[in-house]
Amino acid sequence: MTIQLKDVCYSYPDTPGKRVLNINSWAVAAGEQVFVHGPSGGGKSTLLNLLSGMLQADTGEVSVLGQRLDKISSRQRDRFRADHIGYIFQQFNLIPYLDAMDNIALAHQFAKENLSSSLKDDIKSLLSSFHIAPSDWQKPVANLSIGQQQRIAIARAMINKPELLIADEPTSSLDQDNRDHFMSELMAMVAEHNTTLLFVSHDMSLAKYFNRIDALAEINTAGAGH
Amino acid sequence: MFFRLAAKSLLNRKGSVVLTILAMSVSIFVLLGVEHIRTQTKESFNSTVSGVDLIVGARTGSLNLLLYSVFRIGSPTNNIDWETYQAIADNSRVAWAIPVSLGDSHKGYRVMGTSTDYFKHFSYGNKRQLDFTEGKPFSDLFDVVLGSEVARKLGYSLGDKIVLAHGLGKTSFSLHDDRPFKITGILATTGTPVDQTVHISLQGIEAIHIDWQQGVKMPGSTITTDQLESLALQPKTITAFMLGLNSRMATFRVQRNINNYRKEPLSAILPGVALSELWQMMGLMENTLRLISGLILMAALLGLSAMMLASIREREHEIHLLRVIGASPVFLFLIIEMEALLISLLSILLAVSGLYLSLGLSSDFLAANFSLHMGRSLLSGNKLFFVLLIIGATIIAAALPSFFAYKNARLSR
Ligand SMILES: Nc1ncnc2c1ncn2[C@@H]1O[C@H](COP(=O)(O)OP(=O)(O)OP(=O)(O)O)[C@@H](O)[C@H]1O
Ligand SMILES: [Mg+2]
Repeated sequence: MTIQLKDVCYSYPDTPGKRVLNINSWAVAAGEQVFVHGPSGGGKSTLLNLLSGMLQADTGEVSVLGQRLDKISSRQRDRFRADHIGYIFQQFNLIPYLDAMDNIALAHQFAKENLSSSLKDDIKSLLSSFHIAPSDWQKPVANLSIGQQQRIAIARAMINKPELLIADEPTSSLDQDNRDHFMSELMAMVAEHNTTLLFVSHDMSLAKYFNRIDALAEINTAGAGH
Repeated sequence: MFFRLAAKSLLNRKGSVVLTILAMSVSIFVLLGVEHIRTQTKESFNSTVSGVDLIVGARTGSLNLLLYSVFRIGSPTNNIDWETYQAIADNSRVAWAIPVSLGDSHKGYRVMGTSTDYFKHFSYGNKRQLDFTEGKPFSDLFDVVLGSEVARKLGYSLGDKIVLAHGLGKTSFSLHDDRPFKITGILATTGTPVDQTVHISLQGIEAIHIDWQQGVKMPGSTITTDQLESLALQPKTITAFMLGLNSRMATFRVQRNINNYRKEPLSAILPGVALSELWQMMGLMENTLRLISGLILMAALLGLSAMMLASIREREHEIHLLRVIGASPVFLFLIIEMEALLISLLSILLAVSGLYLSLGLSSDFLAANFSLHMGRSLLSGNKLFFVLLIIGATIIAAALPSFFAYKNARLSR
């Protein structure tokens, strides 16, 4: 199992009385591509942050790639995230004043296999496969289009060949054309590397790309209470 | 990559970063500049006289005696009898004696009557003797030897004739214009008041005053120069004299004997002791200057801190992103510190080159007007210490924003 949750509860520290997540049991198998949908404020992003180790569950077991995230230190979780998890957001995926090459190299910086001698070549071939023209490689990414930026974001998330890729509404800032582009390139990339993909969105039209579709409301019983 | 990230992040915020660097540079410039001038002043101050064991004058405070005899500042209270000078100079413990007679001037530069022993025994700095760039010591009655600055500023060269003025005013009306002096020697630059002095023989001093009484020239002088030369021009009084002793060990005993001299009240001082006394009096001003420049630096560092803190607010997304790709909170702490250090190092670089430049441009001015001779070795000794201090202070000043970034990262949402 790539992801396994058991009796997980979470409330934000500033609002301890308000339980955001309460998940009895939920699992994702290796190589699965899961589409998770749910209303705004339902706790989708919170769930993803628990899985990446950015947040820590109040109670329960969070196991990712066989590692119990609730059992290790925050430093170890940072390491783990850098080594095994790719992450794409709706926006702010890149450091705006760095160019595409630097952004991707920076993501590589924190991962374990930091000795790749062919890093530059790896980055270049990744960028090419996402149809970013070489003339755009050395420009600050803030000067590129949103579509280009989101595709570079996939490259950045994939540079360390993560076993698990997490995407949090990565297409909501894209138009129809760019969205199709983005989705097909993303799906091709995951298929090629046999990456487990957890994709969160409230845009149901994207569900067609996935073989497993979960509604957060069914997993998370915290929202049902009121 | 770490360095690159910090540098590019700074470049991305050019406006506020440049302003911060300017503020820092100015404050570091002030700090290092004050420190440089302070040490250089102290050094040139302490090197005005060396190798002289005792300075003797009429009874007065030791600072006053030091100021008028060595620095040519202020005026002597009284003169000493020539017999007194001779009696002490003949003492068996005394190796050499240099008489000093002051009171006249030339275009604002003080005239000093002395003997040729002055050129033999007087030394400054690290026991350096006086050198001649041109000519030789005075030998004739109306010969004059100029300090380097006098010659340079007034454009004199060997063989020129100059007229001395009675009294110390810059525009004196009572000129000794009947007795012009011929320049026979020009001294090398010493960086001491010697550079601003006009040297003539004691006999020369006597000669120009021979038909004066109470500071006024008697009308109808009839004595010709030839007659003067044949007169035995023995000075009756001198202003002060410097002593070199045969043995350093005897200094205090000789000093005591002179201070207790029965025929006339005298003061004998050790130049080194008097110099440090004088420097101590300037200590308060020195420390005030240091305090002020320290406060200016502190203000600049607080500005740096505020700028970094504001930038962290703007960079919440960036910090979150770095966290997601695996950066630890410590990394974020360090990157902010790194940015602050880059700013500080650039400022130091800018300030030091600015200092070099302005010292290069102003060294002539300082030498000419304040007789301050600035060395160019800016980053020597305690200034290096100051640079390290600035770097240390930057690390401390950046700790708050860095900690803020660290905390932000820990609570990352
Ligand atoms: N940092 C935070 N501190 C306190 N409460 C938070 C924080 N972030 C989110 N919440 C709350 O937790 C709940 C879940 O938020 P979350 O961002 O996980 O929802 P979401 O499903 O991702 O919504 P959206 O579709 O709008 O992105 C919301 O009620 C939100 O107000
Ligand atoms: Mg969300």
